[in-house]
Amino acid sequence: MRNARIYAAGLAASLAMIGSASQAVAGDEITRGELMAITCQACHNAAAAEHGVPDLSPYPPELIASQLRAFRDGDRAATVMDRHATGYTDEEIEAMAAYFGN
Amino acid sequence: MHDFSRRKFLKVAGISGAAAATGIGCAPTNGVRPLEKAHVVVVGGGSGGATTAKYLKKFGPDVNVTLIEPNATYHTCYGSNWVLGGMVDMDFIAQTYDSLRENWGINVVQDKVVGVDADARRVRLEGGDNVSYDKLVMSPGIDFRYDAVPGITEADAERIPHAWKAGEQTRILRSQLEAMPNGGVFVMVAPPNPFRCPPGPYERVSLIAHYFKQEKPRSKIIILDTKDGFSKQGLFEEGWAQHYGDMIEWRPASDGGLAEEVDVNEMTVVTEAGFERVKADVLNFIPAQRAGRIAHDAGLTNNNGWVPVHQSSFKSEMDDNIYVLGDASIAGAMPKSGHSANTQGKIVATAIIQELSGRDPVTPSSVNTCYSLVTPDHAVSVAAVYRYKDGAMTGVEGAGGVSPMGASERFRAQEARYTRAWYAGITNDIWG
Repeated sequence: MRNARIYAAGLAASLAMIGSASQAVAGDEITRGELMAITCQACHNAAAAEHGVPDLSPYPPELIASQLRAFRDGDRAATVMDRHATGYTDEEIEAMAAYFGN
Repeated sequence: MHDFSRRKFLKVAGISGAAAATGIGCAPTNGVRPLEKAHVVVVGGGSGGATTAKYLKKFGPDVNVTLIEPNATYHTCYGSNWVLGGMVDMDFIAQTYDSLRENWGINVVQDKVVGVDADARRVRLEGGDNVSYDKLVMSPGIDFRYDAVPGITEADAERIPHAWKAGEQTRILRSQLEAMPNGGVFVMVAPPNPFRCPPGPYERVSLIAHYFKQEKPRSKIIILDTKDGFSKQGLFEEGWAQHYGDMIEWRPASDGGLAEEVDVNEMTVVTEAGFERVKADVLNFIPAQRAGRIAHDAGLTNNNGWVPVHQSSFKSEMDDNIYVLGDASIAGAMPKSGHSANTQGKIVATAIIQELSGRDPVTPSSVNTCYSLVTPDHAVSVAAVYRYKDGAMTGVEGAGGVSPMGASERFRAQEARYTRAWYAGITNDIWG
């Protein structure tokens, strides 16, 4: 994802150089799924992992989605994740999960 | 709204390392400025401001971002109660701007913004410089209103600390607690709604009780509350009874808790129309609050002292090029918490990048998770998921809520471990 962004930024710079700066090709589109997914990073990152909360960034989307559904539907025990997961529809879970595992 | 195309120059003055002036030939013709030419100025390096600055660079590495913050070291309010309870020292809650500067390419300026000229799109710094912006982000935190209770002023805060902005005030209150004799009385005057960190006062008395129980077990704690209820009340009261017996006494506003006057010389709080005088050995007066002063000076606040924003983007209702987030903003159902400010920072960064690149706004969704320690090994939490709906950030029905009552010791201990993980995680997300 980051690579895609760097590519897009580079593309924008090239376009600017050939005089097409009026075109708004500068940076990736940010989706609602991505905005939802980055809220997870506040707790689920490398620093938190040292205290037993998993860093989710390398997890595959399928696993993120299945575990969020399990928390939501009461199939996996939790202290707080059940209270978060109940806030999302299936579509939102899929949209969020797509931003993991990159 | 200002039209970018009408401006021939974007002047970024007074700050070394910021954007160079834009040549006329590069001026966009459709009102959209390429990201690499844009200058976003962020005022305030707390949870909201630092998150916004970092995520702007994450989403748009070519955007010029200047973060203006008066302190070289920022002490988080969250965790400051752990200092008061003797669990950690001040260094534990100290954050620096090294990573934002070195790893993210943010121009961090140690100065204080003393004025905003919204028409000219520039801010004035105490040090004398003017800094121009395309977009201004303000995360100014809170200011205190000492006018609500007679007898005490801001000048008394060295003797009677609020400790509601972490740092020197935290140090003062901790040293007063250390100097207090066994059998002394700690009195807290808790603030009226809305205020920064709703469960904070009650976590504070919990951890001070933990300290007293170990070091000064005959001491007493009285909370004089301006309210008749508080965040996670059932869970706190359950924990207090379990761990501290009758050491903590909470007096609601309607039953003798409302502070009517403070006699600072006698360290006494007057309640019940003068019939009750509560004498303290250590007095923690947490005043009523409003948005940080610069938001008020910039004309961004309403009659109640808080900042109305379009809650889909946290853009000010008063100015299209200014965004206000964190404790200072009116954010619907979202509490004034560090975690709220963090997620709002991501919303603001998204909104600015989308707008600068000419794309449609993203309808935001956000979360809050807030842990409080009742003892170092017993935590309780509140969580929520929010969506932008009908003009406001609204809690998603059926989601969120507080930890269960009557949970096992193991459950409380697990949440206490997650409390520490939360601190490590969120500070890394913001300043790392």
